[in-house]
Amino acid sequence: MGGLDWVVIQKNLPFLMQGLLTTFQLALVAISGGLLLGILVGMARLSSIRVIYYPATAFVNIMRSLPLILVIFWFYFLVPVIAGRPMGDFFSACVAFVVFEAAYFAEIVRAGIQSISSGQVQAAYSTGFNYGETMRYIIIPQALRNMVPSLLTQAVVVFQDTSLAYVIGLKEFLRSASIVDAREMRSLELYAFVGIVYFLVCFAMSKLSKRLEAKRGHAQ
Amino acid sequence: MKRLLYVVVAGILLLCFTPGIYAGALEDIEKKGEFIVGVRDGAIPFGFFDANNQHVGFSVDMAKELHKGLEAKLGKPIKLTLKTINPKTRIPLVANRTLNMVAGSSTHTIAREETVDFSITVFLTGTQLLAKKEKGFKSYKDMSGKRVGAAQGSTNEKAIRDLNTKGKIDPPAEIVVYQEHTQGMLALQKDIIDAYCTDGILLAGLKAKAPNPDEYELVGELITYDPYAYIVPEDDSNFRDFVNIELINIIKDGRYYKLYEKWFGPGGVVPYPMTQEAETLMKLQAWP
Amino acid sequence: MLSYNFNWSIIWTEPYGQWMLQGIWVTVRLGFICWFIALALGIIIGTFRVTPFRPLRIFGAVYTEVFRDIPLLVQLFFWYFAAPSILPKSIEMWLYRGLPDSEFWIVVVGLSIYTSSRIAEHIRAGMQSISQDQYYAALSTGFTHFQTYRFIIIPYAVRIVMPPLTAECLTVFKNTALAMTVGVLETTFMSQQIEAYTFQGIEATTAASLVYMGITLAVVFLMGLVEKRLAVPGLITRSGGR
Repeated sequence: MGGLDWVVIQKNLPFLMQGLLTTFQLALVAISGGLLLGILVGMARLSSIRVIYYPATAFVNIMRSLPLILVIFWFYFLVPVIAGRPMGDFFSACVAFVVFEAAYFAEIVRAGIQSISSGQVQAAYSTGFNYGETMRYIIIPQALRNMVPSLLTQAVVVFQDTSLAYVIGLKEFLRSASIVDAREMRSLELYAFVGIVYFLVCFAMSKLSKRLEAKRGHAQ
Repeated sequence: MKRLLYVVVAGILLLCFTPGIYAGALEDIEKKGEFIVGVRDGAIPFGFFDANNQHVGFSVDMAKELHKGLEAKLGKPIKLTLKTINPKTRIPLVANRTLNMVAGSSTHTIAREETVDFSITVFLTGTQLLAKKEKGFKSYKDMSGKRVGAAQGSTNEKAIRDLNTKGKIDPPAEIVVYQEHTQGMLALQKDIIDAYCTDGILLAGLKAKAPNPDEYELVGELITYDPYAYIVPEDDSNFRDFVNIELINIIKDGRYYKLYEKWFGPGGVVPYPMTQEAETLMKLQAWP
Repeated sequence: MLSYNFNWSIIWTEPYGQWMLQGIWVTVRLGFICWFIALALGIIIGTFRVTPFRPLRIFGAVYTEVFRDIPLLVQLFFWYFAAPSILPKSIEMWLYRGLPDSEFWIVVVGLSIYTSSRIAEHIRAGMQSISQDQYYAALSTGFTHFQTYRFIIIPYAVRIVMPPLTAECLTVFKNTALAMTVGVLETTFMSQQIEAYTFQGIEATTAASLVYMGITLAVVFLMGLVEKRLAVPGLITRSGGR
């Protein structure tokens, strides 16, 4: 196998870090966009209005049964055709991720909202809040606090999922390492480096999630 | 709350289904002030990343020349945006107008004409194989029962499959399909495959850039005829005419030969002298 | 609308239809094999994490954390391009050449290990929710540690975590799609291959989507059957709190 040559990572560090930045950006958009859309869809899943409930349920079930890589390809072909105009690859990836992750966030949100006792809702209504205000001021804030561990776990998953943007050529972290590898031919070092970086980030995030969960347990 | 929901949903649907009015690439470029060109990142020396991880290459330089001509024609400064593409995405991305053009190493084929249009030919090559010298392969027939790599969706992959099905390689070669040339080269380096199959000039480039170029050699005859051209959107005569005329100007005033010398000359990245046929082709393509 | 000519018949015209079927078969095989290996490994590693023996616990913890915190795609690349070079040259060559379908089996290794780390987490959670009384009761009747785990704790834990295990089974089949990046000719790969030959990307991708939806339904149905058959009446109460 020969000696491991870690210098190659040092030499290309700026480029690799640029890729890591893109990964963070994509993850941020996916998490925030997915969470927002997920809250809407999660609420829709609890609605008693058939026209809202069935499409939302269909959406969640379909998205959760498809591999993300396929959804990325799908949006790559479909989005420009529907929109009638060209889209960039970062935009296309963002749309795919937001829509895909929303289905997963929706389930977490739904579980979170359902965990709030109905007494809260009734108390809110009796004080004169309407549906929108109840949701905004009473239910969702409490639900969000309950959901934080699951949301963080899902955030870690999203962060890892961004590596799939590799297939459409987005210059995220994995793809950047692959480009350097093509020039330097040092696969072992480069992919090990990618693995280590991902590991450190995700490990830190999941430890944070566990600590938050423990703290919440004490507080209550 | 319910009403708000309906309005939001209706708004989203409206946004999605409003058809965009697409006039033509030239109008699009002028309006956006941006010339979006797809370039390769593993096709040496047509499009690849240099040590500073910038896009460089023969086709990249040609795109820059076209960009100059574009600015002259439209009479205003236009931004040149280079986007990285691979063999799989290059045609869909032009077909759906995400890119104005792809300047890489795309073979002009009749099948592809159904979806996109092409400029005049800018380079001549054909499908070949790259293998380690120690294996001692001499022609594609030596591939029987061996593992050959190719990029998904490329003309080379189809060519090797054709050779298999037509019985020209018997017993058939085992084809391993990767997403791009860099993966294939990596596999070749690690002996995961016996040979990698793509256009001869690209193989020469992969060999030149390998950590130890002397280990590899180009094997055998040209399996197919591959004229390279640049991909432009379908049914856009104005833009295609512009590209072709600009390319002819580049050939006529000698810039083409200078760029050829720079990339394929003795001091270039991949030495590859211009064949007699290529010279004749370039001369004949330059309409008066 | 942009110019796009829909042509749905490509899904079943030869040879594309046959490619699709071949791809589906590879997906099903890959998912099945990885699922069972991952289940076995996952139960073992999950058990390691709750045993009283510290070295085993640490091994289990490290295994789980490492393989859960690195994206699957990175792991697959590592197993395919990087890992075999650690092996002695002759074994490495046999792996790549002598073994028929080497891409498939390398993905089996990568995907099984990844999935097993996730299953291990679920098993651990399930075991930790079993009260200590079961354990002591078993020991007091003369079971050894090993027998306790084998006959009492593990069967109990597996039944508790059936819902998450069903989700993991679905995930395994979805993750088989990533194998296309290292040359495995499964469903997603075939859909993109059809696209490369016909340029009908939407039809091909839709066909692949229907396949995965079908697999999801089949898995949910089958796991439901398994859950019913394995259920011990009255063992797991499904009311509100524990």
